[in-house]
Amino acid sequence: MAQTLTFLGIESSCDDTAAAVVRLSDGRAEILASVVAGQTELHAAFGGVVPELAARAHAEKLDLCIEEALLRANLPLAALDGIAVTAGPGLIGGVLSGVMCAKGLAAGTGLPLIGVNHLAGHALTPRLTDSLPFPYLMLLVSGGHCQFLVAHGPERFTRLGGTIDDAPGEAFDKTAKLLGLPQPGGPAVESEARQGNPKRFAFPRPLLDRPGCDMSFSGLKTALLRARDAVVLENGGLPRQTRADLCAGFQAAVADVLAEKSRRALKEYMALSPTVPAFAVAGGVAANAPIRAKLEAISAEVGARFLAPPISLCTDNAAMIAWAGIERFQSGARDGLDLSARPRWPLDQNAPAMLGAGKKGAKA
Amino acid sequence: MPSDPLILGFDTSAAHCAAALLRGTTLLESRIEEMAKGQAERLMPMLQEMLARHGAGWHDLAALGVGIGPGNFTGVRIAVSAARGLALALGVPAVGVSTLEAQALGLPRPLTVAMDARRGEVYVQHFGPDGGPALMALDQVTGVQGALTGSAAAELAERLPQARVLPAVQPLPEAIARIAAQRRTLPLPRPAPLYLRAADACPPSDPAPLILEG
Repeated sequence: MAQTLTFLGIESSCDDTAAAVVRLSDGRAEILASVVAGQTELHAAFGGVVPELAARAHAEKLDLCIEEALLRANLPLAALDGIAVTAGPGLIGGVLSGVMCAKGLAAGTGLPLIGVNHLAGHALTPRLTDSLPFPYLMLLVSGGHCQFLVAHGPERFTRLGGTIDDAPGEAFDKTAKLLGLPQPGGPAVESEARQGNPKRFAFPRPLLDRPGCDMSFSGLKTALLRARDAVVLENGGLPRQTRADLCAGFQAAVADVLAEKSRRALKEYMALSPTVPAFAVAGGVAANAPIRAKLEAISAEVGARFLAPPISLCTDNAAMIAWAGIERFQSGARDGLDLSARPRWPLDQNAPAMLGAGKKGAKA
Repeated sequence: MPSDPLILGFDTSAAHCAAALLRGTTLLESRIEEMAKGQAERLMPMLQEMLARHGAGWHDLAALGVGIGPGNFTGVRIAVSAARGLALALGVPAVGVSTLEAQALGLPRPLTVAMDARRGEVYVQHFGPDGGPALMALDQVTGVQGALTGSAAAELAERLPQARVLPAVQPLPEAIARIAAQRRTLPLPRPAPLYLRAADACPPSDPAPLILEG
């Protein structure tokens, strides 16, 4: 296949406004430009992403990011073969802005429009970076998501398990907040944990006693809060070393849960007898070095290749959306100007809902 | 005359998809489809169908006019985002038009436009020597000069019996298109939502603990 495809990707499902240009040429993918405008400062005072503030920022930044990406790629819109946009799941205000901006671009240029599942963007990243063949095992672990997926094809995923409540990234953010550390919590807690003793506080490892790959992190968050409150009550504040010990204990608990559940997921995956076994991680939590090291070791135990994309492609970005758009386009997918933005959109439509299993259906 | 510029105005700031197409100063079509949801799905096909009915395509457009609110936050962003994407792709100006201004078009001055903002509040703009758009409690609006128009005009007129209520001269999308036609050659910022009301966001209730050194 000597076909060359150049796609614009647009991402606005959480608190990063992003645009990227990705080219597939002779079977090789290249990121020509990737622009990410974050909103950390906008939400800093509120201890979490405020959906309305995020939506307001996206609406006025999207076209600027797109122009910047095209400028860096040194390409006009006319040089593109398609426009891919995150159509869900995520914060609906931001997703809507992205989808509408993409529709305007597609209508005005006559280019094909491809709606992309944000999670598929993460899950297909190992193919963007390493041309990884299907099927591979994927752990998607971020501030909003935590699930094990077997990727069989660009639009075919089987979920082996996932969190039944909070995502680990959210737990890291909450931990940072409870301990007076800055947001985003992941890097702050990781850095603090380096000075801490992971054994001083005994935090729970939820659901390890149960079979399967499902996880739970909300109890861990509560346990951390109780431990903090006990220390503050005793000392009238939180001693710096104790804070480091709490971070180390918390991080070790998350790492242990992810490691053990990865072991089980790998066992299920290896039973499929993949020709080139591989275990890939994506999402912001994959940037955590101790967690990454633990997962790598477990992958090595079963002889599966371990892949963790560079941090800039682990966290939210639009290169992964452009790439997922190319993969969908190649499989014949096209969307119309009536494309819907979907706040909830599970990748594995057949798996039973784990989150938000109300009348609106599964979240992810 | 076929060489007159083609201007498309549209708005989703309320429970509708609204659009109007102008050729020069001649109105080709104005249309408002009422809907409580589904504007994001309907808007672009509706615009495309309208262009097609008049033998035109996206590339025939000389300018866009878009309603920037005040109104439903999400609705405003739907139209504004589409307008910014279209403007980038077509290389034509997109003119942001406030719904307060659009309702004032063609009415005698002085004039006060008052729109229902719910929660006992109104979006108000006085069109005269001074006056920008504002969000006010209904009972704080006093001493209106000139006539009143807008969705809250009748309610205000009950409190301010001296005020005369006038209907808008043209439907909202037509007014947006006409204002865009007037301003399309001016240097203008990109259309941005006019919210007037702040986002609902509360600082965290649980303060961080005091960190003890040593």
